[in-house]
Amino acid sequence: MNFLVAAALAVGALVVLPLVAHFLRRGRAAELPFPPAALVKATQTSTRRERHLEDRALFSLRALTIVGLAVLGATPLVRCSRLSLARGAGGSLAVAIVLDDSLSMRAAPKGKPSRFERARDAAARLLDSTREGDSVAILLAGAPARVALAATTDLALARRTLKELAPSDRATDLAGAVSLARSSFASGAGRERRLVVLSDFAAPAVPAGDPAPWVPLPALAERLPDCGIASAERRGTSVAVTLACTNAEAARGRTLELLAKGTRVAKLGLEARGGVASVSLAVPPSAASPLSLRLDGEDALTEDDTAPVAPDTVGLGVAVLADQTESGAVTGGAPLVEQVIGALERDVTLHPLTVVPDQASELEHDALVLLDDPAGLGPEAREALTTFVERGGLAAALVGPRAEARRIGATLEPFAFGTVRWQLAPAAHGANVASLGWLGAEARSLGELKPQGRTLLDAGHAPGTRVTATWSDGAPFIVDRELGRGLVTTITLPSSVEVSDFALRPGFVALIDHLLDTARRRRGLTTSVAGTTWVFGSERPVIVGPDGPLRLVESPDRGRTATPSLRGSYRLTTERGEEQRTVTLDPQELTLEPSPPPAGARNAGGAPAGQLLDVSAELAYALLALLALELLLRAVRVDARPGFR
Amino acid sequence: MTERFDQELDWGALAPLRLRARSAAEGLWAGPHRSLRRGAGVEFAGYRAYTQGDDLRFLDRHALMRHGLRVVREFETDTDRSVRLVLDVTASMSFAGSRARGAKLAFAAVVGAALAWIALRGGDRVALEFIGDHGLPLPWGTGMPTFERIVSALEHARAGGSVSPERLTQLVTRLGRSSPAGSITVVFSDFLDLPASALEELGALSGRQRALVAVEVLDPDEIDLPFKGPVRLRALESDLVVDTDAPRARADYEAALAEHTAKWRDGFVARGARFLRASTGEDPGAVVRRVLEGISGAGA
Repeated sequence: MNFLVAAALAVGALVVLPLVAHFLRRGRAAELPFPPAALVKATQTSTRRERHLEDRALFSLRALTIVGLAVLGATPLVRCSRLSLARGAGGSLAVAIVLDDSLSMRAAPKGKPSRFERARDAAARLLDSTREGDSVAILLAGAPARVALAATTDLALARRTLKELAPSDRATDLAGAVSLARSSFASGAGRERRLVVLSDFAAPAVPAGDPAPWVPLPALAERLPDCGIASAERRGTSVAVTLACTNAEAARGRTLELLAKGTRVAKLGLEARGGVASVSLAVPPSAASPLSLRLDGEDALTEDDTAPVAPDTVGLGVAVLADQTESGAVTGGAPLVEQVIGALERDVTLHPLTVVPDQASELEHDALVLLDDPAGLGPEAREALTTFVERGGLAAALVGPRAEARRIGATLEPFAFGTVRWQLAPAAHGANVASLGWLGAEARSLGELKPQGRTLLDAGHAPGTRVTATWSDGAPFIVDRELGRGLVTTITLPSSVEVSDFALRPGFVALIDHLLDTARRRRGLTTSVAGTTWVFGSERPVIVGPDGPLRLVESPDRGRTATPSLRGSYRLTTERGEEQRTVTLDPQELTLEPSPPPAGARNAGGAPAGQLLDVSAELAYALLALLALELLLRAVRVDARPGFR
Repeated sequence: MTERFDQELDWGALAPLRLRARSAAEGLWAGPHRSLRRGAGVEFAGYRAYTQGDDLRFLDRHALMRHGLRVVREFETDTDRSVRLVLDVTASMSFAGSRARGAKLAFAAVVGAALAWIALRGGDRVALEFIGDHGLPLPWGTGMPTFERIVSALEHARAGGSVSPERLTQLVTRLGRSSPAGSITVVFSDFLDLPASALEELGALSGRQRALVAVEVLDPDEIDLPFKGPVRLRALESDLVVDTDAPRARADYEAALAEHTAKWRDGFVARGARFLRASTGEDPGAVVRRVLEGISGAGA
C-alpha cells in the first residue's frame, strides 16, 4: 500500500465527524427566539428521544458517503478479496479457466463446501468480472483433460456451461488441461491472456509455459485426509480390493466391510499406513449378490468410502501368430511381439497361434488377433477373421516379406487388397513422425528407422481404408480400416530384427500398447477407470449407470463412444444381449496429496494481478445514489424541520 | 423597518377618519373637539347666573327684559385634543415570526404613525413616548412638521433591552403630569416581560378624564405556536430557555396566552381603559380603525 492509498483510506477516518456532530447535537433542539417562551410548557424528555430517532437515517447516509469517498479515492489501488480479472491496458481479455473436476475435488473440509463447489463459485465470480468482447474458454482437468467450452465471446453461454458442470470420479490430468488451455489462446490473438487454474494440484507438476497460470484459490490445495476403495473385484470365493489412503492417520481405526444386499457378511480392519494396499476378503457361500464394500469412519471424501464389487472377469484375450524363427529374438524366448505384450504387464491372456483359425468361434475369447508377417490367409481363415472383426474385434497384421511368398489362393485380405509388394532397400528412411502424433512421444523413435525393406500397399482399393501413419516419402506406414463393429490395422513392417530394428524401438512398444488399448475399448472392458472411453463403433448400446442413462457421443474416427465419469456398475444393452461393466477409481487419485501451486502463481511473477479490483464506476454510482437519497430525505423533511411548518 | 407595513397601509383611506372621544377634550387651542370650557362657540350649552366680569355680549337681554334675570348664555367651545402615542421598544417587540411581514415594533410604528397623521390633520396635538431606552420621545406638537418628526422618531426607534420597574414608574409619572384632561393615550405593547407593576402603572394613565387605549401587538406565531417537532425556545428579555415538543405543548400554550391576555384586558378595562389585540398579520388600516373605535368608546 503506497502513500496515496493510505492517504485516501485515511479520509475514511472522517466517518467519525458526523458521529461527533450527532452526539454534540443530540438532545439540543434548534434554538428559536420566542418572546412568550415563559408561557410554553417544557417537554424535554420527549424532545431528546424524537431527535435521536429523526437523525439516524441522515447520519447513516453521511457516514456511508464518507466511506464511499475514501474507497473511491483509493480505488483501483485497493486490494479487494473479491475475485476478478485485472486488465493491464484495459483491452479485451482471452480467459481460459481450467477447472479440476477430478475425484479429489469432491473432498470437503468439515462444515465447508467441497473443493469443486468453491472452485466453480470462484470461476463464476471471475466470469462476472469479464466484459463484452472478452473470450472465455473452460477446460476440465479430470482425466482425460477435455474442453467443456471452446473459446467464445458468448459470456452467457460460458455462465450456463459453468453452471452445468459437476464433479466426477476421474483421475487428474492437470498438465493436459493446462496444455489445452494454452492452445485455446491461439484464437484470441490481440487479447491479453489469462490462464486461471482452479485445482487442488493433486497431480504431477504443471509444465511451465506462457502464459503462467494464475491460481486464485490456493486454499484448494489444503491437505485433507482420505481413505477410499479404488476397486473391488470378485475372484472366486474372495473379493480383491484395492484401497488407497493419503496417509496413515486417514486409515487408522477404520474397518472395511463387505455387504451382501446391504447386510455385512465380512469385515477387515485397515492397517494404519498411507498409499495403495491390496486386501482380500473371503465371501461366505451364503452371501447373495450384488456385493458391495463400505469403509466405516469419516474422512474428507465420502464418495469413495463405498464401492460395488465387480463380478469375475477374465483378462483381455490376445491371439498372436508369430514365427519363432523369423520373429524371435537372438537371445531366444517368445517372439518379440509376445515379449512386448508380456512386458506391458497388462491383464492379458495370450493365445499363441500357429495358424489362423478357420472358425471365428475359436477367437471368441480374444479381443485382439495379431499376425506377424503372415504368409497369406486362406478363404476359411479370411472368413473367420472377418467375422471376428465384424463382431467388434481388432485384427492387426505386421506385413513383411512373406506377403510376397504367399501360397496360391491365399491373400492378405482383410488387411490388404490389391497388390502387395515387398520393397527392398527403400529410399525412404523412417516414418513420418508428424503422422504418428497419436502414438505419443515414443513416435519420434520411429523416425529413425532404417529397414532393409518395407511393404507397399495399394490402399486405394479397400473401402473405408484410412492411412493413419506414413513413411517419410508419403507411402502408407500404418493403415486402419473399419469393418463391421471392429477394426483392421495393417502395419507395413514386420517385427523381425533381421528386417529392421522396428521391434527394438520404443515406438514399437507404444504401438503394441495402442493396439491393446484399442482392442480393450472395442471389446469393452468389464472393469475400467472412471474417465476411460468406451468405443462401440457402429453399435448403439443403451447404457444405464449410477446416475442414469449415459450419453453416446459420435466420434468421426471411432464411431460411437461413451465416457463414464462416475464409479459404479453400468448396464449395457446391445443387440448381442446385456452386459455389466464396472467403473473403478484410479488409486493414484486417492493417494496423491495436493502440492503447493507453482511459485509465483498466486499473484506476482508474471501472473496477472487479478486481485486488484477497479470499482471506481460502481462506487461513483453508489455515491450518487447516496447523495440523491440524502436530498430526497431532506426534501421530505423540509416541512418537518424544527421551527417551521 | 416600517417600510413593509407602510407600503401596505392605504393612507388615502385614512383621510376621512377623525379622532372622536366621548370624554371632553381640554385643549388650549380651538379645535374640532367639544371642550369643557364655555365660551365663544356656536353650540348653545345653557344659562348661568351673571357674574361680574362676564362678557356682556353673552348676557341674555330677553331674560333680563322679560323676567328681570341677569343670566348669560353659554356655548360649548371647540378645542383641540391631545393624543399621546406610547410604544414599547423592549426586546420582545423586535420579534418577527415566519408568517409576519415585519417585527411587532414596525407594525406598531405604522399604526401609530397613521393615528398621528389622523390626529394632526384634525388639528390635534400629538406627543410620542417609548417604554424602554431605545426611542427618542417627542413633546406635544401640532401640524405636519410634527408628523415628520414623529415618523422620523418611529423610524429610528429600535427594540432592545428591557424596562425596569423604576424606569416604568418614572415614565408613567411623567406622562401623568404632562397629560391634560381629555387627552388620549394609546399604548402599543406586547405586554410580555414587562415588570409586574406594569399593569398598575399603565392603568393609571386612564381615568381623570383621560382616555387610555391599550393595543396588544402580537406576532401570528405568538398566537398559535406553529412550530413542529422539538424546539428550544429562548425568551428575548430574560435568560429563560424552554425545550419543548411544540405540537404537544400547543394547547397548553394557547390556554396560557389566553389567560395572560385576559389578565391585562381585565386590568385595563377595570380602570376604564380600552384593550384590543392586534396581530402583525392583520391589515394595519383595519387596526387603525379598531383603535379609533376604541378611542371613541374610551373615557368618560
